[in-house]
Amino acid sequence: MEVDREDGRSQNQLRPLACSRNNLHRAHGSASWSQGDTKVLAAVYGPKAGTKKNENPEKACIEVIWKPKTGQIGKLEKEYEMILKRTLQSICILTVNPNTTTSVIIQVANDDGALLPSAINAACMALVDAGIPTRHLAVSICCCVARSGLVVLDPTKLEEQKMKAFAYLVFPNSVHSVLPEGSPSGQGEPIQNGIITSVTHGIMSVDDYFYCLERGRAASTKLSDFLRKNLQQQSTDSSKAG
Amino acid sequence: MEGRISNAWRLTVNDKNFIKTALLSEIRIDGRKPFEYRKISIKFDRGDGSSEVQLGQTRVMGIVTAQLVQPYKDRPKEGTLSIFTEFSPMADPSFEPGRPGELAVELGRIIDRGLRESRAVDTESLCILAGKFVWAIRIDLHILDNGGNLVDAANIAALAALLTFRRPECSLGGEDGQEVIVHPPEIREPLPLTVHHLPIAITFGFFGNEGILLIDPTHNEEAVMGGRMTMTVNANGDICAIQKGGGEGVPQRVIMKCLQLATSKAASITKQIKDAVEAFTERALRKIKRHPTSTDVDVKEKQNQ
Repeated sequence: MEVDREDGRSQNQLRPLACSRNNLHRAHGSASWSQGDTKVLAAVYGPKAGTKKNENPEKACIEVIWKPKTGQIGKLEKEYEMILKRTLQSICILTVNPNTTTSVIIQVANDDGALLPSAINAACMALVDAGIPTRHLAVSICCCVARSGLVVLDPTKLEEQKMKAFAYLVFPNSVHSVLPEGSPSGQGEPIQNGIITSVTHGIMSVDDYFYCLERGRAASTKLSDFLRKNLQQQSTDSSKAG
Repeated sequence: MEGRISNAWRLTVNDKNFIKTALLSEIRIDGRKPFEYRKISIKFDRGDGSSEVQLGQTRVMGIVTAQLVQPYKDRPKEGTLSIFTEFSPMADPSFEPGRPGELAVELGRIIDRGLRESRAVDTESLCILAGKFVWAIRIDLHILDNGGNLVDAANIAALAALLTFRRPECSLGGEDGQEVIVHPPEIREPLPLTVHHLPIAITFGFFGNEGILLIDPTHNEEAVMGGRMTMTVNANGDICAIQKGGGEGVPQRVIMKCLQLATSKAASITKQIKDAVEAFTERALRKIKRHPTSTDVDVKEKQNQ
């Protein structure tokens, strides 16, 4: 059963990815990520002194500010901020800089489907650009279930609206071991099979959901490779001062 | 945590003195001459009224959207234009999220006066059905990077976005001709806005005792300068707005000199904006011509729905 996608992609094909680091001068770290027509800018300031009220001063605090393309900030933006904050909290090493706040600011340049995954990817690149200590990075993908039961990756906005259900999934990025092959990777296993965040919309069966996870994980290795290649290329550029 | 002194960015006394001393010999810290503008680059992502302007290190994104609304009771035949400025915390560590501060409000007002009160955008052509339906144009300006002189950059971003924005065509229909039908872009080509002239904002910085005058200050120079003035002029030599809010006093002849400078700069910036918009529109038209089949696919899509 073939699904007819408007832009001619197959089920498991992602849109063309493009990203760049270090775009802004004032921000400590910045990145821009685009998947097809969806484009998101992320900036990181930190660590700044002090934590916010009601936050644990023995750990670093992460603050997320989500700026939509147009219109006022509403509940949807607050929800995205909360999801992003919890996701980034689980990948950052919070005990390194206690009693500090790291601000992550997301600006939506264009929304054509899979907005939250693009934002998570952009935020991770910006964290690397700012030099915030993290355990590993996160790669995020959107999987959706069509009315026919097929699982489709990386939908555009029109496709998202027509789908029965969709899920935003965040996986840790793949481990690129410097140890020789065959060495015990006891610690690597749990990370590779983990899932950091999952947000679903609509109704889907349990089997569909597990199928989405499988597909998402397979795509996440490709995304991790893309991310790694991009970060390595740009790390040879001059560093920022001040 | 908000507004902690340790988190605020301040120039050291040494830096400030260095800038002031260099200016005495007409040298600016980024190597420009006193009346030289930084490099302006105008980019358009997609031709739907979004522009990104880079003025040196300052980066501003402008987005134009339109909505059909009821007009104001005292102006039933005119559309509306509103400007929203977002001083995103992305641009500067001292920008706080939430309610816009003084600077944001002032910037919004300067651009608003330049565009609306000089009638740069024709609001009468935005009227569809007098008293019932008019187009409300909304301009969102997102400040992405604060490298100084936000007003000028934001103004250029607003103008560039307005020039590439296309609103859907609509016609009157229904039984008594009182219903408005909005045609989707696939059926009828969307229309550009009528922009009569381009008001360009030019900002000057004044530095104290020696009467030093600068154009287009960077954020380092802004921290040192004693006063600022923004003049909004267009290429025809009309003054659209002048804003000098406090700061040190400046003699009359300096103001006249600034006006002459502003008019000449406005002409070159207007040309830059028009060239960028033309180059983009040409490329966009060529893309449409190269893929004549894309319209077919869209139409079939609609039929399937």
